[in-house]
Amino acid sequence: MTMSDTPVAAQKAPRRPKRARPAAWPWLAPALLMLGAFYLVPILDVLRLAFGDATLLRSVESYGLEGIQQTLSSPALPGVLWVTVVFTAASVIGILATGMLVALTVVRGEMRGLWGMSALRTVVLTAWVVPGIANGLIWQMLFSEAPFGALNSTLAVFGIAPVRWLSDPSNAMVSAAIANVWQGTAFAMIVFYAARKGLSQDLYAAAAIDGAGPFARFLFITLPQMRAAILVATVLVTIQTLNTFDVILALTGGGPGRATEVLSLFTFNTVFYNFDLSGGSALALILVLIALLLTVVYIRLLGDRPDQDK
Amino acid sequence: MTHRFLRILGAVGAACAVGIPSSLAAQDLITRDRVGLPDAPNTMTFRLTAYDLYSSDDATRTAFEELFAEFIEARPDWKIETQIATDNIGQEQARLLEQARAGRGPDCAMIDSSQLALFKSADVLTPMNAHWSEAEIDDLFPFVREAVTNEDGDLLAWWWFTDLRVLYRDTRLVPDAPQTWEELQAASLATVDAGKEGVLFNGGRWEGTTFDWLAHFWAQGGQLVDDEGRPVFAEGENREKFLTAINFYKDLVDSGAAPPRVTSIVNYDDFNAAAAAGTTGLFIGGNWQYGQLRGTLPVEDFAAWEVSAIPGPSVDARATGTGGWTIAAMSDDEDAVRICAEMIREIYSGQSNAIQGLLPTSAAQYERFDAFDGPEYDVFAQALVDGQARPGVPIYPEISNNIQILIGDVLSGAATPEEALDAANAAVQAAYERL
Repeated sequence: MTMSDTPVAAQKAPRRPKRARPAAWPWLAPALLMLGAFYLVPILDVLRLAFGDATLLRSVESYGLEGIQQTLSSPALPGVLWVTVVFTAASVIGILATGMLVALTVVRGEMRGLWGMSALRTVVLTAWVVPGIANGLIWQMLFSEAPFGALNSTLAVFGIAPVRWLSDPSNAMVSAAIANVWQGTAFAMIVFYAARKGLSQDLYAAAAIDGAGPFARFLFITLPQMRAAILVATVLVTIQTLNTFDVILALTGGGPGRATEVLSLFTFNTVFYNFDLSGGSALALILVLIALLLTVVYIRLLGDRPDQDK
Repeated sequence: MTHRFLRILGAVGAACAVGIPSSLAAQDLITRDRVGLPDAPNTMTFRLTAYDLYSSDDATRTAFEELFAEFIEARPDWKIETQIATDNIGQEQARLLEQARAGRGPDCAMIDSSQLALFKSADVLTPMNAHWSEAEIDDLFPFVREAVTNEDGDLLAWWWFTDLRVLYRDTRLVPDAPQTWEELQAASLATVDAGKEGVLFNGGRWEGTTFDWLAHFWAQGGQLVDDEGRPVFAEGENREKFLTAINFYKDLVDSGAAPPRVTSIVNYDDFNAAAAAGTTGLFIGGNWQYGQLRGTLPVEDFAAWEVSAIPGPSVDARATGTGGWTIAAMSDDEDAVRICAEMIREIYSGQSNAIQGLLPTSAAQYERFDAFDGPEYDVFAQALVDGQARPGVPIYPEISNNIQILIGDVLSGAATPEEALDAANAAVQAAYERL
C-alpha cells in the first residue's frame, strides 16, 4: 500500500511543535504578594498573638493555650455571644427581607413604567454610603428619649406614649438592629435587583397562564431562581453584620449594661479598654470561625442541588 | 452723594487691599494637616484634639489660628504637621501608646490626663525640664505636679488645663443649691412636679458615666485601687461605699427624680440641649459647659442657671472628678522637643485657657488672665479643693468600662447592685491578672 492509498483520516497529522506552557507563577506573583502582605500576614499575626500573652503595654513574653482558655472562660462571653446571635439574626433577616422588598418593588415599578424608581434606588443607596459612625449618630438623634427626641415627638403627635428606644435593654437591641438594617438594605437590594432583572419573563408569563397568583409566582419562580443571589447576599451580609461595631459604638456604646455588646465590640473593648491584645486576637479568631461556619451552613442549605435544579 | 460713595468705595478698597493678603497668608500657613509653609526644612509632628485649632466653633478656631500663625511666623524654618485625634479617647490613646512604643508616634501629642500614667510607665515620654523653671513646676497644683513628673523630678508632660464636674441648676426651679444626696433627690422631684425631667447625669456606656459617678464614691472616701494599683473597689469598706453610691443612683431613677433615659446619655451636650429646650432644671455636668450655656441660652434664661458643688452623702463629704489634657514630647530630636515645649508655653499654657475658659493648672495663671474673674470661677476653685483625679494605673480603663456596664445594668433593672458589682469585680480581677 502506497501512501496515496492510505485513508486521509488514518493519516497522522503532522505534529505541531509543542509550545512551552508559560509558567503561571510570574503572573500570579503580584496578586499573591499583595494578598499575602495585606491579608495573610495580619491573619498569621493574629494567630500568633492569640496564643501569646501580649498586651498593648508589652510584647509577647510566652506562648501557650492559657490566654485562649481565659478568653473562652470569660463570664461575659456567653452573654456577648447571645447578643451577637440575636443582633446578627435580626439584622440579616431584616436586611434580606427589606432588600428583597425594595428590589422587587423597583423592578415591578420599572416594568410598569412608574415614575421615581431611579430616585427610590438612589435614596436607598444613599444610606449605604453613610459611614457606620455617622449612621449610629443619626439614629441616636432619632431615638433620643428626651422630650424633644425626633421619633418620640412624632409618636406623641398621634397620642402614643414615648418609647424607651435606647435605655431599655430589649428595645436597645431592636433599635441597633433597625439602624443596621437601614444601612445594609442597599447592598441586598443591589444584589437582588440585578438577579431579578436577569430572570426570564417567559417563566412568569407561563405561570400566569397556569393561573399562578403573585404569591405563588414569588414562591415558586422568583425565590428558587434567585437562590444563588440569595446565598451570596446572605453570606456577605452575615459576615458584614458580624463585623459591625461602629454603628453600635456610636448608637449605644454596647449598653445599657452589655445589652447591645456584640462580639466585634467586645473584641474592640478587650483590646482598647483592657489592653489585652492576645485576648482580643483570640476573640477575633472566634469571629472568623463563626463566619466560616455560617458560610458553610448557608452553602449547604442554599447551594446548588443538582437533583432539583437539573 | 457721589463723593461720599467714592469715599466709601475707596475705604472698602483699602480695607480689602490690606486684609486680603493677610487672610491669604493665614490660609497658606494653616491647613487641615499643617501649620507653617509646606517647604519648611524642619518638621514637628503634633497630634491634637479637634477642640482648639480645628474647633467647629468659629471664634475658638479663629483665635487659635492667630496664635499658631504668630508662633510659626516667628519660626519660618519649621512646620507643624498636625494629626487630629478622634474623640474616642480610650481607643485613640491606646493607639497612640502603641505607636509610641513602636517608635512611630508623633513628636508631640496631647494625652488625656487619665492616661498619662500609662505613657509614663511605658517610658515613651521625653523630659522637658530644660524648657520650664523649677518655680513654674512648683506653682502647679499638687495633684497636677505629681502626675506630670516622675520620681527623678523629670517633667514628662505639661498638664495645660483641668476640669471638674459640678451641679447645674435652674434657680427659677431650684433656688437653693442642694448640699446632700437627700436634698438633690428632693429638689429633682420638685422639678418633676414642675413638668421637667428631673436631674440628668451620664449613665450610658462611656467614660463620662464612670467619672461623674465616681464623685459619689470618692465623697465617702472610697478607693478604686490600692497603693500597688490592685483593684480593691469591691473589698471591705470600699464595697459598702460602692454599693451606697450605686444605690443612690438607683434611688434617683426608681423614685422618678431622674428619668430612665439617663442610661442612654453618652454626651454632655445632651444636658445643654435639655437646658436649651427647657426640659430640665438640674444636671451634673462639666465646668466647661458654663461657657457653652452662656452662648446657647437667651440672656434671661442663662442668668437663671447657677453652678454648685456636687452634693455628697453629707454636707461635709464632697468630691468631684478632675480631668483635663496634657501635652507631652515623644521625640529623640532635641529641636523637636524644644518646639513642642515652646508651643505649649506660647499657645496652650495660659493663652488657650483664657480663650476657652478652661481651668488653668497653676495658681499664677488665674491671676494673670482677666478671663477667670467671673463668679463661677470662685465656685470652680472651691470645688477643686475636693477634686480627685482618676487613678493613673493601667487597669483603670477596664475598671471604668465595668462600672459603665454595672450602672447600665442596675439602672435598667437588669441586675441588682450586688450582682452587678460581683460581675464587675470578677471581670476586672481577671483583666488585672492578664495585664
